[in-house]
Amino acid sequence: MNATIDPCNCPPWSAWVLDHLQLGLLVLDAGNHIVFANQWLLTHANLAHDAVIGKPLLEVFPQIKGSAFERALAQTIASGYPSLLSQTLHPAPLPIFLPTSQRGKDKLLRQSIRIIPSGRQASALMDQQYTLIQINDVTQPFMRERLLKAQAGRLKGLAEVDVLTALGNRRRLDEVLPQAMHAARKSAQPLSVVMFDVDYFKQFNDLYGHLAGDNCLRQVAQILRDVFRRPQDLVARYGGEEMVAVLPETHGAAALGLTEQVLRRVYALGITHQGSTVADRVTISAGVAVYEPGAELSPENLLKAADQALYRAKSGGRNRVCGPG
Amino acid sequence: MNLSELELDALTEVFNVGVGQAAHALSQLANTTVMLSVPQVDVISKLNVSTELINQGADRVCAVRQQFSGVLNTEAVLMFPVQQSLQLVQMMVGDEVPLEQLGEMEQEALAEIGNILLNSVVSGVADVFKLQFEGSLPYVELGPVRDVLCAQGDLTDQVLSLQIDFAIETLQIHGFLLFLLDVESVESLKLTVERFLAAMS
Repeated sequence: MNATIDPCNCPPWSAWVLDHLQLGLLVLDAGNHIVFANQWLLTHANLAHDAVIGKPLLEVFPQIKGSAFERALAQTIASGYPSLLSQTLHPAPLPIFLPTSQRGKDKLLRQSIRIIPSGRQASALMDQQYTLIQINDVTQPFMRERLLKAQAGRLKGLAEVDVLTALGNRRRLDEVLPQAMHAARKSAQPLSVVMFDVDYFKQFNDLYGHLAGDNCLRQVAQILRDVFRRPQDLVARYGGEEMVAVLPETHGAAALGLTEQVLRRVYALGITHQGSTVADRVTISAGVAVYEPGAELSPENLLKAADQALYRAKSGGRNRVCGPG
Repeated sequence: MNLSELELDALTEVFNVGVGQAAHALSQLANTTVMLSVPQVDVISKLNVSTELINQGADRVCAVRQQFSGVLNTEAVLMFPVQQSLQLVQMMVGDEVPLEQLGEMEQEALAEIGNILLNSVVSGVADVFKLQFEGSLPYVELGPVRDVLCAQGDLTDQVLSLQIDFAIETLQIHGFLLFLLDVESVESLKLTVERFLAAMS
């Protein structure tokens, strides 16, 4: 049963080489008994030679029963074609650990596994069909990729944030708005867009200085964040003192209600503004536009519609919101 | 290579048996139903394949290659437009976050998916035609369509080409499976199909 390769046919260094390979090797005979395991595998599986050799694979590694690894092995032996189990789809099929980790803190290695059956020709030269299982430790490349992805994600996030207000920036708006419109079409739900503008902001800056202006924008931004707080809402700084809210699954009446709340809260801040002709304090104006799924409208034209509503609010006396139409 | 309508239809049917098995294995892997179908098998030039892919807006493809040897020798090349290969991996991994590019780890996942598909398809064909093959491990390649197609030979070479349609939940993916065949292998394929049809009638 436990046929081993005839040592007479092997070069004297073959066993030494196999034991020093920095990957795991397992050889199964036609009855799925382990006939060979190299030193790397024994060390990382923390198993003694005698506990492995001559034993059925499933007895040595009972945890693979019913797993994708077992299915792939059966499939490979049946078809005779080699197969691959990727780390991404099966992180750690075998109980193989970092040998240096302390007890109780065993670290499972990320594995990339190849199952290679001896083909008809090779089997004919031996006494039966054997199967080679090769296990590569891909923990390090996996960690490296994960780190790079996390960094890329962080950088992307940073690239889309407005430094002053910590709202999304124009780039973020340009990315999110088409997606939100696409989602609205798919879910057949209306999408509201609100454009805000601080009234007489230029005069405010002239009177109180740019630091006060920055501070004012930050406070307004905070109110927008507080009012439009659903995870799917986006608030972005559009231009100097213009900000935009993208509100999925929100019809015009709801958007108007929320916007009026924003206006009241900004008024309640009570930031003195002697350059304003509409109040003794900072106020804002807003315009609401609604995208009804099915309508032929580009993101640019949706923003334009909100801008036109904002213009109506401005010319209608400021500190007010104008709706669609 | 000239295969008759009848022979191509027979091949289409045989390949559909193979992709049926692949769909079963991929469904287990994805934990959701994966449906696969081969609408049509064709013998066309590599040039036609690349034109078709480029017309679909896929000038860059991701390919999984495997060699099969036996009565006939072939290199099987499964190709996806890069964007679709990303969606496929994402679907299989069950990840919510859209992938931006095919990293080392995603390429390996694609190699596994391609390996399952190629092994099932070839073993389905081998069973029906009573042929025996030995196979290699998969190997992933990314690049412009023409570079991938012309790793060996040139654009005028004829290949056995199958479109493979994937349907996974709401996702639709069109892959291309090519079998690159040398002259002798073309002859033995034709003989095999003829013999198969003769035995059927």
